[in-house]
Amino acid sequence: MIIMENIIKSYKIAKEDLHVLSHINLTIQTGEFAAIMGPSGSGKSTLMNLIGCLDTPTSGNYYFAGENVASYKDEDLARIRNSSIGFVFQHFQLLPRLSALKNVELPMIYAGISKSERRDRSEEALRKVGLADRMDHLPNALSGGQKQRVAIARAIVNEPKLLLADEPTGALDSKTSETIMEQFTKLNDEGATIILVTHEAEIASYAKRTITVRDGRIVSESGGIT
Amino acid sequence: MSLMENLLMAVGSLQAHKLRSLLTMLGIIIGVGAVIIVVAIGQGGEAMLKSQIAGSGNTIELFYQPSNEEIAANPNIYNQAPFSQEDIRLVETIPGVKQVVATSSAFSTVRFREKTSDSSAIGINQAYLDVNDIEIAKGRGFAASDFISGRRVTMISSFMQEELFEGKSPIGEIIRIGAQPVEIIGVLKKPTGLLAFGSVEAYLPYNTWKTIFAKNEITQITLQAESADQIKRIGQTAAKKVNLLHGTEDSYQVINMEEIAQGLGQITKIMTLIIGSIAGISLFVGGIGVMNIMLVSVTERTREIGIRMALGATRKQVLTQFLIESMTLTLIGGIVGIVIGWGTSALISFFAGWPSLISWQVVAGGVLFSMIIGIVFGLLPANKAAKLNPIESLRYE
Repeated sequence: MIIMENIIKSYKIAKEDLHVLSHINLTIQTGEFAAIMGPSGSGKSTLMNLIGCLDTPTSGNYYFAGENVASYKDEDLARIRNSSIGFVFQHFQLLPRLSALKNVELPMIYAGISKSERRDRSEEALRKVGLADRMDHLPNALSGGQKQRVAIARAIVNEPKLLLADEPTGALDSKTSETIMEQFTKLNDEGATIILVTHEAEIASYAKRTITVRDGRIVSESGGIT
Repeated sequence: MSLMENLLMAVGSLQAHKLRSLLTMLGIIIGVGAVIIVVAIGQGGEAMLKSQIAGSGNTIELFYQPSNEEIAANPNIYNQAPFSQEDIRLVETIPGVKQVVATSSAFSTVRFREKTSDSSAIGINQAYLDVNDIEIAKGRGFAASDFISGRRVTMISSFMQEELFEGKSPIGEIIRIGAQPVEIIGVLKKPTGLLAFGSVEAYLPYNTWKTIFAKNEITQITLQAESADQIKRIGQTAAKKVNLLHGTEDSYQVINMEEIAQGLGQITKIMTLIIGSIAGISLFVGGIGVMNIMLVSVTERTREIGIRMALGATRKQVLTQFLIESMTLTLIGGIVGIVIGWGTSALISFFAGWPSLISWQVVAGGVLFSMIIGIVFGLLPANKAAKLNPIESLRYE
């Protein structure tokens, strides 16, 4: 599913290259549930942006579902994000003026899916996360946990190859966090490939594999399928 | 993503800030409205001028402009009537001439009982009635027999009626032009329109005029051609013949009404252009307002843009979204402006007695132009939105 070979990400600051990620080699199989852990400043966010095709590496190869996307242009990256990656963010990132249903429809709008099909699939996705009765609510009328479940519904509605969750419980209390993580576990059981980025060990424990990043390098791995 | 989808999205975004959208549109509404009003009134004015000037169809006037030598030889030459019956007979024979309108005018005191009025007495021939639209308010017009026999009958202008009769019916009353008694048979309608000046006048059949003033001379000759394309030729031939008859070089000339109308049309066109460009400037300012608000909107919605990009919107799709949004803004403004401009110019023309012309070209131009303004002034903000980095935008607070 994901193969990263010798990935380097660096920024030029005052004429000097600052390596945020250096020589990352990472393979994630289809169907895995992996957590990327690390303290802030470790480079885990940068790694997540690369995995999520929001950014491209300075050097190295990144094969996403067989395509080497390392040198892809913005347009191609957008296409991959749209069709193959579902994002769940810490702060939900829902559009406040759109109802839950319309928010879930968003990625399908960019995929060029017809209105009626969009509606059907959005309703189905919302039902799956247990929000059948909240479809027409605006995000402001929903609790934190409900918002995150709308975001999960939005992430899975295009049937992506990869579900990428960035601190999905960071803005939630522990009880709500639990239900959200159970949701991810359930999706993984159904076959979804999930990568979770977190700094909380408790949350990472839901994943079957933990990858720890520190100072731009992968320092330890546990529970990998390989 | 379809255009309809984009339009609905744009309308939704504009509705989220109703007051702001309305105020931004106001610049476009005023600009487009002003342009519509100016053009409508300009075109209406031009059409009216043309119809007033070239109203009496296919006519051309012969006039006398004495040369310096002639004036030196006879300083009183302007006080003498330039034409005679002979001239009429001469120009009547030119092929293509339908009829010749002859008028003779003289100033005279008109008396009714104790009241007097300074008036011009105008002798006309029968052709005058055919060429000029004379509308009679009261009584009757001249009959053919009145012209032949030189009956002592007159039609007076509404202004003379006001001066001498104070609203009472003058039909059948006898007035004295100079010392000669004449019976009033008709009153003319009050003239309307821009070039209609109210004057105190009494119209007489030419033969009547001739006996009253004991003169056989003609002040003005107007030729009516059988068709419009003959006007120029007939005018030139007539001038040449009359010059030959009088032994003058180039003193008898013709005025082509069409040329005057064209000249006046030019003036109104220039006026329209000047005022129109001022209105255009206000439209430009309105466009800058749109750009300004769109820039604010892009900054405010940085996160939205980041979310859309993360979910797979391409830069092109983001660009299109904001372009369509600014275009929708100006398009709605433009349509409202057209409606308001239409209404206002209709109102103005109603009170000014002025035709208001709104052609479909102006409406289509207004719609198209407001759309173009939206695109042109939306380009910068939309480009700014499309260039945003999705990672930074998602973090934007």
